[in-house]
Amino acid sequence: MNLRDRLGKEWLFCDGGTGSILQKMGLKGGELPETWNLTRPDDIKSLNRGYFEAGSNIVNTNTFGANRFKYDNVTEIVTAAVKICQQARKEAGREDDAYVAIDVGPTGKLLEPMGDLPFNEAVDIFAEIIKAGYEAGGDVVVIETMSDSYEAKAAVVAAKEVCDLPIIVTMVYDETGKLLTGGGVEGTVAMLEGLKVDAIGINCGFGPKQMLPIAERLVKCCSLPIVVNPNAGLPRTENGVTIYDVDPDDFASVMEQIAKLGVHVMGGCCGTTPDHICKMINTVKVLPFVEPTVKNDTYVTSFADCVKIGKKPVIIGERINPTGKKKLQQALRDNNIDYLLTEALKQEEAGAHILDVNVGLPEIDEPSMMEDVVLKIQSVTNLPLQIDTTNIEALERGMRIYNGKPMINSVNGKEENIKAVMPLVAKYGGVLVALPLDEGGIPETSDGRIAIAKRIYEEADKYGIPRKDIVIDGLAMTISSDPNSAIATLDTVRRVRDEFSGHSILGVSNISFGLPARELVNSHFLTMAMQNGLSCAIINPCNGPMMASYRSFNALMNLDPNLQEFITAFKDYVAGSTTVASAKSSASSSGAVLTLGEAIERGVVGRAAEAMKEALDSGRDSLEIIDAELIPSLDRVGKGFEKGTVFLPQLLMSADAAKAAFAVVKEAMADKPRNTKGQVIMATVKGDIHDIGKNIVKVMLENYGYDVIDLGKDVPPEVIVDCAIENNIRVVGLSALMTTTVASMEETIKLMREKKPNTKIVVGGAVMTPEYADQIGADAYAKDAMATVRYCDSVFEGLVR
Amino acid sequence: MPLGVEIPVKEVQRYMGYRGMVDIAPDIQAKISKAIDMLGAQSHPRIVTKEYPVRVRGNDITIYNDTEEIVLTSESLARNLKGCCGAILLAATIGPACDRLVRRAAVTSAADASIYQAAGAAAIEAFLDDQNAKLEKDYESQGLFLRPRFSPGYGDLKLDHQKDWFRLLDISKQIGVELTDSLLMVPTKSVTALIGIGIDKSKVGCSGCSGCNKHDTCAFSKEDK
Repeated sequence: MNLRDRLGKEWLFCDGGTGSILQKMGLKGGELPETWNLTRPDDIKSLNRGYFEAGSNIVNTNTFGANRFKYDNVTEIVTAAVKICQQARKEAGREDDAYVAIDVGPTGKLLEPMGDLPFNEAVDIFAEIIKAGYEAGGDVVVIETMSDSYEAKAAVVAAKEVCDLPIIVTMVYDETGKLLTGGGVEGTVAMLEGLKVDAIGINCGFGPKQMLPIAERLVKCCSLPIVVNPNAGLPRTENGVTIYDVDPDDFASVMEQIAKLGVHVMGGCCGTTPDHICKMINTVKVLPFVEPTVKNDTYVTSFADCVKIGKKPVIIGERINPTGKKKLQQALRDNNIDYLLTEALKQEEAGAHILDVNVGLPEIDEPSMMEDVVLKIQSVTNLPLQIDTTNIEALERGMRIYNGKPMINSVNGKEENIKAVMPLVAKYGGVLVALPLDEGGIPETSDGRIAIAKRIYEEADKYGIPRKDIVIDGLAMTISSDPNSAIATLDTVRRVRDEFSGHSILGVSNISFGLPARELVNSHFLTMAMQNGLSCAIINPCNGPMMASYRSFNALMNLDPNLQEFITAFKDYVAGSTTVASAKSSASSSGAVLTLGEAIERGVVGRAAEAMKEALDSGRDSLEIIDAELIPSLDRVGKGFEKGTVFLPQLLMSADAAKAAFAVVKEAMADKPRNTKGQVIMATVKGDIHDIGKNIVKVMLENYGYDVIDLGKDVPPEVIVDCAIENNIRVVGLSALMTTTVASMEETIKLMREKKPNTKIVVGGAVMTPEYADQIGADAYAKDAMATVRYCDSVFEGLVR
Repeated sequence: MPLGVEIPVKEVQRYMGYRGMVDIAPDIQAKISKAIDMLGAQSHPRIVTKEYPVRVRGNDITIYNDTEEIVLTSESLARNLKGCCGAILLAATIGPACDRLVRRAAVTSAADASIYQAAGAAAIEAFLDDQNAKLEKDYESQGLFLRPRFSPGYGDLKLDHQKDWFRLLDISKQIGVELTDSLLMVPTKSVTALIGIGIDKSKVGCSGCSGCNKHDTCAFSKEDK
């Protein structure tokens, strides 16, 4: 019988520990356990057989760490492991009711952006293991001991791409129910359910007692069969030996308690033996079995946050969308991702719960931009994202790289569109925004929209996308062209709630297109929509009246416990004002008397920008202001820093202030060609992920008039050299923090000398010294950001040849 | 789970590059306090420790595990461990929040990024000092004394030994820290170290900055040069 047909229908049991048993058989520290599949197959067989004989239905192959970082013969190792396990099952006489599980453990690397392993490379690594296991005849894929939900996603995607076997995923949480990377139980479950795995659980970390409360949380939020595989207690060491204290009887008795919570698959992890498993099975198998129940909560998640779509409306920030936004369009064309990140952080601070991300511009490569932007926004904010595009390739790239369960904007009722979008949602998971329009256009009445919505729900059923993960758009369109439009939209929103118990969404501000005083109409329309059951409002959270409507609504509808959010937001409210006083404006007003130069010297960011704007408004030439005020004040701080009278933080505050002033100039001269001293590449070399120093140098160089191409961190030599050739770069700045990464700095310099000998290379970083720089063949050593600026000046002014 | 220990302001300032008595502008002070608050609240510290028998012969230090023996060669560590027969190996982290806060801050302000960076460094040290003090107390009650902690890459102890620490302590699984190909740890605010266990208080001047051979050139040295 297929495992899929049994999961969640009857008690099933996994195996127990491997490592501790292999150590008893003589596995040495530092010896890779999977090599035994080739060198000591009989020992591995006896390990597997012990568990089949103990009664386990799901027995893992000895492939936990069998990845290409440790082995160059992964396929051979995995194939052997599957064959051994099959043989053990046969010898134990369990061929009828037990399964060989392709065991997949973590890679031992952290994924980008936190670590240095790209997501798609992780998928490749897992695919290699799973494919070998599948082809050798494995029955199920068990992805286990995952402490990072993102890595678990990579493994699941890999499994789905190479086979159609059932997939079981178990994660490691700590006592508080958090993953080591910060995610919680509910968010991880939502992501894995979206990825359509077959069972979800917990393993390792600690013993059954400590696992009880986490199992309880799983039972509450998970609609799929639940797996619980604890260690034999908390490990401790005596004279270098790891000991697990919970004996088979105690283990069985706590597992009985966990079984009664309503879990479905049970086994063990580190320190458990066939004895533990056998005792547990005998205790648990006689207990009544409770099938998993479907939970109706809708969650949109990131790696750390989990936003519930339900009674309380959710704010989706609309600012990262180039439609009608010139500055954002320019930023996308210039690949100025920092601008998008700033918009993301601003919206988060203003109170957004989810951020819409739309990077569609005809002249850019949208799929790769979407992938890049999703990754980068997720590296700075915990907020979940709404991937917003009509470009199917961009949609897939965004969904694939996304860490969590995103919102997808959108699908519509057109057959072709459903066929393109829904399979992606079925594969990667997501909460899908559905526009009730089709080949016949946008229905004018709510009747027409509700009919299409119904059809979209039915289509989702076919793809196995749960209805709770569909959010119907009420289609707000301007009342200036159709006076009935707000009524039709509000009606649609209300009927989605009443007739489908569904969720709804609106791009709220569309309602007032073409009108004056749009925020008045928008904020009132928002209140009306929420009153009609709106679940998600796509708005600009930085707009005062909109957020005032939102917060007032929550306060009035008992959706704001103790009115805390309302009071926090409006405690400094001045009656009659429509904007909310923010900490920022008061900070800048405190520096209101400072001149531009003073603001920069003291590092008052808001005032520096303001003073620059005033200077430009008074008709002064921007270059004159920069030369006469901005640069000299920056220089005074720089000189102080070089002399040791000014410390780094003050230098950086000034740099931030200068940067803000420059941004004002840039904006004012958006249409004119920019004047730069020259182009410089900055990169943190391959293997190094510490880029704070490099970022500081970048800011300083930009302030001093250089156009910096920032290649980021962990940059391979070829990329740096190719970029230098392509842009005919005169100076490259390299940074490395550790001795171990200086080697790749040297390699980069060597390659540059070979391919583009006329480029100067200046190096810096914690371990660098002038002697060291000389030794690896650099042209110059810069001890800090100012020194780099001085060096670049000397090159571009022709002092250095 | 928050950090659980106080992050000393003075240490944050030292990591920021302040030297001697300086007046720190109130706006920078405010930024420092905010960074300390955020890190205190968002950090998720974890530690794994294991005790091993060790033997010191010349500059070779042998660590005895049940399945292997590891030899570290280091003059400065051998000096540190003189007279010790055991050692605690440890790894600790304050978790990924600090790295995220630094990345976030870097979007808008280089100054903020450097402050979070400094506060993170002070945070992991404060956490370790606290754990260290608890261990010291434990061992002292058994009549044993702990030496100052010593890390791979410190003095003449090769950074390559990071791999030994990761294997012996199963660091990835225990506390969620991974090692990059170039032997750096992520999350970056993480520490691996060894603490010698002796039957008497150390008489050798091997502690803190003065015990390090980079003392003369280090920009962060705590003591006067």
